Amino acid sequence: MHALVQGVILGVLTGGVYALMASGQTLIFGIMKVVNLAQGAMVIASAYLAYQLFVSFGIDPFLAIPITTVIMFGLGVGVQLLFLRPLKRDDKAELSLLVTFAVALLIEGLLSITWKTTYRSIITGYENDSWTFFGYHFTVVRVYAFALSLVALALLFLLLNRTRFGRAVRATVQNPDSAKLLGVEADRVAALGFGLGAATAAAAGSVYGLLYPFYSGSHYDLISRLLSIVVLGGLGSVGGAVIAAVIVSTSSAIVAATVSPAWSEMTFFVILILVLLFRPQGLFGTVGRGAL
Amino acid sequence: MFGSNRLRFRGPAVVALALMSVGISACASGSSGGSGGSSSSAQSSQPLVIGASVSLTGDFADPGKAVKAGYELWADQINAKGGILGRKVEFKIVDDTSSPDQVVTNYQNLINQDHVDAVFGPFSSLLTVPASQVAKRYGYAFLEPAGGGPKVFAAKLDNLFFVQPAPVVKQGDVFADWILSLPSADRPTTAAYPELDDPFSAPIAENVRARFEAAGIKTVYKQVYPAETQDFSPIAAKIASANPDVIVAGTQSEDAYAMVKSLVQLKFSPKFMYMSNGANSPLEFPSKVGASNTAGITSSGDWFPGSTATGSAEFTDAYIKKYGGTADTIDNSSAEAYACGQLLEEVAKKTGKIDNATIISTLHEAGTTWPTLLGDLSWDAIGQPQGSFHLVQWQGGKLLPVFPTDVAQAAPVYPKPNWGG
Repeated sequence: MHALVQGVILGVLTGGVYALMASGQTLIFGIMKVVNLAQGAMVIASAYLAYQLFVSFGIDPFLAIPITTVIMFGLGVGVQLLFLRPLKRDDKAELSLLVTFAVALLIEGLLSITWKTTYRSIITGYENDSWTFFGYHFTVVRVYAFALSLVALALLFLLLNRTRFGRAVRATVQNPDSAKLLGVEADRVAALGFGLGAATAAAAGSVYGLLYPFYSGSHYDLISRLLSIVVLGGLGSVGGAVIAAVIVSTSSAIVAATVSPAWSEMTFFVILILVLLFRPQGLFGTVGRGAL
Repeated sequence: MFGSNRLRFRGPAVVALALMSVGISACASGSSGGSGGSSSSAQSSQPLVIGASVSLTGDFADPGKAVKAGYELWADQINAKGGILGRKVEFKIVDDTSSPDQVVTNYQNLINQDHVDAVFGPFSSLLTVPASQVAKRYGYAFLEPAGGGPKVFAAKLDNLFFVQPAPVVKQGDVFADWILSLPSADRPTTAAYPELDDPFSAPIAENVRARFEAAGIKTVYKQVYPAETQDFSPIAAKIASANPDVIVAGTQSEDAYAMVKSLVQLKFSPKFMYMSNGANSPLEFPSKVGASNTAGITSSGDWFPGSTATGSAEFTDAYIKKYGGTADTIDNSSAEAYACGQLLEEVAKKTGKIDNATIISTLHEAGTTWPTLLGDLSWDAIGQPQGSFHLVQWQGGKLLPVFPTDVAQAAPVYPKPNWGG
């Protein structure tokens, strides 16, 4: 029982981290109907940036987030302008899969050249600390990460719901053609939206680098998890992605603690298949139209 | 740390390749040619050319280069002493790109085109299996420093000699030896076995488990985790709630670091802790888990800095002189490769000859042990080393041999100090 509760605690906290990564992914889909297969690679790239900032300048990975956020935002905008905008409209969705996968491989290659392929870990000195309440342990990094995710998601929510830009984004998600007719510059919204999605990878990367060892190829595992979370939550639904992330990582932790670690890795995909069979639009997705 | 064990952490593809390569080599007939090698005393003015295929690119590039460094270092040392039986030693080293197909081509070329006098092995069991078949076919002795998996010995070759103290799966036996040598009041009564799903990891812990269970140590946790496992917290949580006296972990590298970190976070410190690999890495391990968390953790080793085994001091000095760094930065694969050369040297000294038939028959002589920097080695009929690894333990931030007593530099510490030292 103790192991079960401890598993749930760890799972919920980890879920916060995944929520952060998946919210960017689902946002990009919502705005542009682009399934961004490079999201995982962007998280890993951010982890490397945080690693380097820490090793070279001693900047704490949490404090490095504003810096990496700017860099990743720029990278996202650049990718959209260079690789996605030129795609023709009618087969854009299919092509974007290939293009973003190519971007993922490109990022992986650049990371391999720059940092080699050995595993890296960000060792801050507090990465193994934990708080204990009633016999249950709360890892400091995970708690920070969870709190950070809540803050980042709240900021994202405010940006989408309280700003002019956010309204333009939501309008584009709901009906790109009408939005355009009403004067929303769809191209600009798409570029900024992609940048925003990539920027969420920055915070996620810092946290990921603190929690797990990573190397340039780590993004394959990551993207498969992110896709299952995004699909479970409903493509395009940020709130759905958050809830799905917590559900998936909690059940994965419970399975690892109670059944077997071998099945834990399967949990993500078992849930994904069940959702696709019984609720293909996901928990919070709508059929046909985007929703945030 | 040990060449033979260090597959990439993401191992399934490599393992699949390994299985395929065994299939391929099984198809090749095991017929052996006549006595291979063209060396004889008549050619004593000629250099003695040793061929080896090592991985300079691909998955095994890093350890492959360490093997190459060991071979070449030995050649420098022996040549400075006038060579083997007056013949200068030259290495012909070719890259196999970590591919089991290329390694076969390489050894065929080394033997048939280059007519090398002897061959040494590649890096990893994956490549040793097909390579040893080629050597067997042409009657070459196959001294190999880095292929100790069960598949290597499954072919039952009489020309193969694994140049490490024991086969990989028996790496953990020294830990069982130590535990079972303790007075019964001090022994653990319950044990947990987290094991990486990998032919070089899980079997090590399983061997220990068999001996512990026979000795009445109760198993309270046993799980095999896949190579993809990223988050070890739930595994650690389950182990902590089972509250074992001893954790015997069949680990590789990153999984070992992650497991220690998770246990630290959950504040669960067992009385005894053994990790098959990862914890025996003198630089990586403390840098990944924090030096103060290493205290009391045990692992297995063959060569270690400061070892007093035959030629170890000479090897260490020469290595630092040639390649730089400190004794702590020397990869064990280099020491294991160097030991292959030492054996050749010993055979020549003992017999006055250096041809493949002599090497094979001499190393198989019953009752003889061969001094190397890894300790004294001997083999059974199919090349399985008959010795034992050393038990190494982290004490005061250093990795020290603690058992068996004849090689120990310190007494083993137990119970393991709590995390943070």
